[in-house]
Parts: sequence; C-alpha cells; structure tokens
Amino acid sequence: MSAEAGALTISERITEAVSIKTVFTVKAFGLAVPISDTVVATWIVMAVLVLSSFLLTRRLRDVPGKAQSLVEGLVAFANKFAEDNIGHEGRRFVPFIGTVFLFLCVANLLPMLTPVGGFGYEPPFAIKPLTRDINVTSALAVLTMAVVVFSALRSKGLKGFLRSFARPMAFMAPFNALEYAVKPLSLSLRLFGNVLGAFIIMQLAEIVMPVGLPPILGLYFDLFDGLVQAVVFGFLSAVYVAEAIE
Amino acid sequence: MDASSAALVGASIAVLTGIGAGVGIGIATGKTSEAIARQPEASGKISGSFLLGIALAEATAIYGLVVALLLIFR
Repeated sequence: MSAEAGALTISERITEAVSIKTVFTVKAFGLAVPISDTVVATWIVMAVLVLSSFLLTRRLRDVPGKAQSLVEGLVAFANKFAEDNIGHEGRRFVPFIGTVFLFLCVANLLPMLTPVGGFGYEPPFAIKPLTRDINVTSALAVLTMAVVVFSALRSKGLKGFLRSFARPMAFMAPFNALEYAVKPLSLSLRLFGNVLGAFIIMQLAEIVMPVGLPPILGLYFDLFDGLVQAVVFGFLSAVYVAEAIE
Repeated sequence: MDASSAALVGASIAVLTGIGAGVGIGIATGKTSEAIARQPEASGKISGSFLLGIALAEATAIYGLVVALLLIFR
C-alpha cells in the first residue's frame, strides 16, 4: 500500500466504516450501558415510524384523502399478503409481520438520505444501515421464532407441538429440533450478510469514484436490495408461521 | 505463510460459495420466466415461490460472505 502518512488505506477505511461505534454511555444503577450508533439509528427509525403512523391516521374519514388512501392501500396489501401466505388465520399476524416489514423498509432506506463525503468534505452526520449490526438482525430473528413457537403452541397445544417434532417419523425428531436453531440463524445471517455486503460495496464505490458511481450502484444496492430483503424477511416469517400453525 | 495472509486466502476461498448461489438463482429465474410465459395469470403465485426459492438459494452465498468477513475482521 503506497498510502502517504496520515491517510488511511482502503481496507482501513472500510474497516472503520463497518465497525460499530459507541456513541455515548448511559450510567444507571451502577451499570455503564454503552449505546452504539445502531441503537441511535433504531431510535431514529422508531421516531419516523411512530410519527408517520400518528400523522397519517390522525383524521380518518369515510372518503379517504391522499394520505389515507396510501395507508389503506398498505394495510390492504398486508392483509392480502398474510391471507395468501398463512391462510384464513393470517389476519392475526398482520400487525407483527407488517411492523417488521415497515421497520426493515425504513431501516434499509434511511441510509440513502446520508450525505456523501469526499474531496476532503466531511458530512456533518451519517446514518449507516443499522441492519449491518448482527445484534439487530438476530434480535428480529429471535422475535420471529418466538412468534412461531407461541402460535404453534396456541394452535396445537403443548402435546400437539411436541408431537409435531416426531413427524413424519420418530427418528426425525433431532432434525426437526435442529430446524428451530437453523431458521433464526439463516434469517438473521441473510439480512445481515446482504446489508453488510451492499454497504461494503457502496463504501468501496465512494472511495474509488465519489462522483457518478455511487448513485447508480445505490439504486441497486441501497434501494432495490434493501426493499427485497425486507420483503424476503416478511415472506419467510409468514411461511414459518404458516408451517407452525397448519 | 503467516496467519493473516492465510486468513485472506481462506476468505477468498469462502467467497467461491457465490458460484452455487449464482447458478441456482439463474436457474430459478429462467424457470420463473418460462412459467410466467406459459401461465401469465398465475404470475402472483409463481413470483411468491420464486422469492422464497432465491432467498434459500442465496443463503449459501451469504454464509460464504459471513465466513469471509469473520476471517478478515478476526
């Protein structure tokens, strides 16, 4: 590497961008809780979701205006999606799957609003994709598996749930049990790997050619890939729930 | 070869998992276009199972990427 003194090499800059920093530390009850930048980004996403849902549903009318028809279309889409993939019980899971889907949509699209640095210009703030932190994605996957297990318990009862491990034959039980470990692993790693891979490629593009290249690549890696991953996560949770309650 | 360069070689080998995912997604896309061309009215259901299929096929490539990242950022 022929980088001059003081300047960072490409790999150092990417390591720097990928690493998760502690923004500040909260001291409470004698404990020091480090708050990382992904937690702050989660708060921003939460604020966006809560504010927009509050503002969009504030004055509901029988004859919908522009904003209300947008929200009604979203809700109708979520209902149809759940009924197509889960069945007539699907309506019950719309709140959970819809929330996860909207959360991932906002979380994956928000980093597009970050100003891009370059030519010595340092952007005043930077929202990095919060799903590049494996803690976020594994929390979502564990939550999904909790919903799957609880809905299986609710629809089959404890006996039926335990019996479902021995299907189609008793010796399949270890493999069926393994599925409960593999499903959250693949759910979280898929989201994490996709977002982190896209993030690294975008960082590379910004380093190599800050003018022109990032917006074009960003159309695919930020916009399309982010939305596809949100759809895939919601779709897979719906499929797992459908499998559990059938 | 010291440990860090061996890790880099291992990372580049791990990324070869992308070949399988690429072939798999290519086959899935081809078959999906064939199916939609044959039965355009079923395109909703077909694209649903297509999404599920590519999500599962892509998983191997993602595992390769994660292993490579683990090796690089040890």
